Amino acid sequence: MLVAAFTWTEFAQQVAAGIRQGAVFAGLALALVIIYRSTRAINFAQGEMATFTTFICWSLMNNGLSFWAAFPIVLAIAFVGGIAIERTIIRPVENGPVITIVIVTLGLALLLNGLMSVIWGGGSRPFQGPFSTRTIDVGGVPISVQDIGIVVVSIILVVLLALFFRFTKLGLALRAAALNRDSSELVGVRVGWMLALGWGLAAVLGAVAGMMVAPILFLDPNMMQVILLYAFAAAVLGGLDSPIGAVVGGLLLGVGITLVGRYVGFVGDTLKLPFALLVILIVLVVKPNGLFGRVAVRRV
Amino acid sequence: MLAAAVMTTAAGARPLATPGVTSTQITIGSSVPLSGEAAIAGNVARGIDAYFNYVNAKGGIFGRKLKFVYLDDGYDPGRAVNNTIRLVQQEQVFAMFSSLGTSNNLAVRKLLNDAKVPQLFVSSGATTFGRDYKQYPWTIGYIPPYSEEGAIYGQYIVKRIKKPRIAVLYQNDDYGRDLYGGLRRGLGKKASAIVSKVAYDPSSADVQPQVTQLKASKANVFMIFAFGKFSLQAFNAVSKLGWKPQIFVNDVSAASALMTAVPQNAANGSISIVFGKDPAAPAWRRDKGVRLFQSILKQYGSNIGPRDLQDGYYTAGMATAYTMVDVLKKAGRNLTRDGVMRAATHLTEKGNPFVLPGIVIHTTPTSRFPLTQVKLQRWSARAWHPFGKLLSLRPR
Amino acid sequence: MRLKLSFEVLGLIALAVLIAIVPRFVSSFTAYELATVGMYFIALLGLSILTGYSGQISLGHGAFMAVGGYTTAVLTVNGVYGHHMRDVWTIPIAGVVAGLAGLLVGIPALRLSGLYLALVTFGIAVSFRQIPLKFDKFLGGTSGKILGLLQTPFGLSASPNDWIYYLTWGIAFVLLVAAWLFVRGKPGRTLKAIRDSEIAATSSGISLARYKTLAFALSAFYAGVAGSLYAIARAYMNPDIFPVVLSVYLVAALALGGVDSFLGLILGAAAIYVLQNRADDVTSWLNHLPHVNLNAQRPGMPDVIFGAVLIVVLILLPTGIGGALRRLFGPLTSRLYSKS
Repeated sequence: MLVAAFTWTEFAQQVAAGIRQGAVFAGLALALVIIYRSTRAINFAQGEMATFTTFICWSLMNNGLSFWAAFPIVLAIAFVGGIAIERTIIRPVENGPVITIVIVTLGLALLLNGLMSVIWGGGSRPFQGPFSTRTIDVGGVPISVQDIGIVVVSIILVVLLALFFRFTKLGLALRAAALNRDSSELVGVRVGWMLALGWGLAAVLGAVAGMMVAPILFLDPNMMQVILLYAFAAAVLGGLDSPIGAVVGGLLLGVGITLVGRYVGFVGDTLKLPFALLVILIVLVVKPNGLFGRVAVRRV
Repeated sequence: MLAAAVMTTAAGARPLATPGVTSTQITIGSSVPLSGEAAIAGNVARGIDAYFNYVNAKGGIFGRKLKFVYLDDGYDPGRAVNNTIRLVQQEQVFAMFSSLGTSNNLAVRKLLNDAKVPQLFVSSGATTFGRDYKQYPWTIGYIPPYSEEGAIYGQYIVKRIKKPRIAVLYQNDDYGRDLYGGLRRGLGKKASAIVSKVAYDPSSADVQPQVTQLKASKANVFMIFAFGKFSLQAFNAVSKLGWKPQIFVNDVSAASALMTAVPQNAANGSISIVFGKDPAAPAWRRDKGVRLFQSILKQYGSNIGPRDLQDGYYTAGMATAYTMVDVLKKAGRNLTRDGVMRAATHLTEKGNPFVLPGIVIHTTPTSRFPLTQVKLQRWSARAWHPFGKLLSLRPR
Repeated sequence: MRLKLSFEVLGLIALAVLIAIVPRFVSSFTAYELATVGMYFIALLGLSILTGYSGQISLGHGAFMAVGGYTTAVLTVNGVYGHHMRDVWTIPIAGVVAGLAGLLVGIPALRLSGLYLALVTFGIAVSFRQIPLKFDKFLGGTSGKILGLLQTPFGLSASPNDWIYYLTWGIAFVLLVAAWLFVRGKPGRTLKAIRDSEIAATSSGISLARYKTLAFALSAFYAGVAGSLYAIARAYMNPDIFPVVLSVYLVAALALGGVDSFLGLILGAAAIYVLQNRADDVTSWLNHLPHVNLNAQRPGMPDVIFGAVLIVVLILLPTGIGGALRRLFGPLTSRLYSKS
């Protein structure tokens, strides 16, 4: 029998790998949710935006900066870039049909992907992340610093975001603009800029996800394409308009597909992607608002 | 754009006695990845291009200049088919040469053989390209077959490793399965030493779960039969799990540039095979062949950076190009497709400056594996170090 | 009305004549390239029925093309009870199998608004390639399935390239007329009613479910036929023949061309062909422009241009290039997409 038998150490390590993967899904899913809440559309360019900013980080590090020196610069670039994208190409179609926005984001994805290929060329390249691959002992199970670091960074980010939305004026205005445009405008919220701010935040989240995952996946222009589908599944699972849902959905999906891929022989590695699609389908048919989404009136 | 497509019709080039050959030029085609994940492997074609330019600068072959047309397929077999049809039908190439990838070459083999277009020195170690010449007489491989590579590792383990417990990570396709099958053959009666094997899918995000599973089998030997970034991820995962097995990594993923990018605590001591001169290896730093390689690349390559001069994909390309030039010379002044196949299957090439000293590139009409001699090499101090004597393979 | 009808009939006849005579003026390889354009055109026709007339979107039509391609591959290579079918006869079967797959997706799609359907179909595009990998004994895995070479059957005297050209454009013409009849007839009018207002359509007694599902199945049928032809022309099928980006190109080309402009769809199909097969030529043309010096070994500029054009067109001409042309030449009240 060539399939290794079950051991608790391995199970714990698989769960750890799943949580780390889930943290990345959660970051990207959160970005999708923030954009969904502000624009009511899904950003199909989210993966490409994340990869693009990660390439910028790679370039900065190639020019001698350390990861943590490059990190804030990249976040700033991502933030400004996200806002610029909203202002220039999303804004004109914002009030059009949702499908038009979706197609514009597809155009953006093609554009960014091609641009990465032109600027940096194809091919997977190593990306020196901030965390070492050395292991530490967690209750008798060796877990790598890298996996722990990625999860910790993700947690910090989510907490910061929650504080921002809950306790700052800007965060409140952003939520208000997403919930109800017209009345927000009446009370003096500059809705247009709030939506752009949403895109900026989403770009930052994507950039973090990209920089965290690049040391593991290795950097190439298509790095986030597969991750994007998992992020979609995570966002749908948690409820497309729920930030908490995105985080929980991401973690559930990360652990879920890792364990299913490992212990369900029929699924294995090959059917992980279709499994994620199945999750999307089941959620949409059984509980269209996801685990945490608000009950929305279906707009026909 | 439709109009544009119509406009590109070449001025209805009239078929010559031999397509792609004029009194001043030989056109040769190839389909390689210049974009996508495997784009670095496209440097093979850039190495070939530089070498052909060098040959042209020295007068060409019987006064004919070599024109090398290589198109990007993004490592996608569908696009490789499109490229090949275009190269044969529109560019009217004399032969296809060194296209990269197993599936990419399989996809066009029937098509090329039916049109009697030589499919020379394919960049793939699938055994079928050298073995099935009765069905596909216009096809010939180049690099050592993957199954033989697996067998060499198996034999080495039997001889050198006490109480081996072997874990195998392999890509879930012909390439991975060839290596795995070869390993079992090389182990012979010791095949039961394989205690776990896990396949990964080329669309995987990350192979860490697979490596975690393999580690759990308490193996002390780890075979990485994985391509490109998956091989890098496997080294990463080994380091992240605190695992310390003897690692064997298959040749196509063992480029020095890749090996320096993984955690060295995992990489150190890894074993692989080698047949070309790796410009990054200290053993060849003062070697004439490597110096020639670097001067050719600097002078005749396009967009060459300092890293390219250390890149083994380029030397691999030049090694093939060197053999190709030999074949074209041998095929004679009166160049035909038949003639080039005859030359390619009656080769005895000694002294190719880009492969290890002592290797003889040899073919006969019934033995179409040009490269059948390799050495083992071990990774330490951020470089590969060849060891032992030349090993001969007997592909079947 | 009658005048317009006869205009359209005249247009169809002119198209038929054009299709018939083109191979006389182009090289054999160009005929082969045009055949491929025709295949993308067929897939776009199907997509236009779906998007233009029922307001649904599919980012997964590459997967339905793959279903068609695999159907043809299995029927010709594996055969049925040892009987290997001739490739031409597998084309309608490939269409039907893809149509059934479309039906399968179309049913849950009923519950999904436009956005969710985009998500699900994108998921199909991304994950479909795993199916032939899972069942690799039957479907060939990554090595793919090698079909019989493209040959001219029935003792006809055309070259294989001309044959695939006539076959593709012949089928394209028939399917175009079928789409035209469909759109003009009751189903088309009903679908338009659905597109414009689902509530109004339902309250006037139209069975929403039936028509939306029908549209999805029909459009998948078109994609399946296109995929089958593509596999025949390449004599090869594998999981990467119809990549995810093709599904994206199809939707993009539809938006560029405009859903109800057949001329626009042909332009869109040509654009896809250039992106998929002649991207290097675009790069070298660009290098002829002053101050442009692109590295030919770093492809990607064609995608940048295509993406940028797509964005600009959607912002400036919401009905696509074809739609804008149409509005110039004749009043036609139609919107690109429904609000959903």
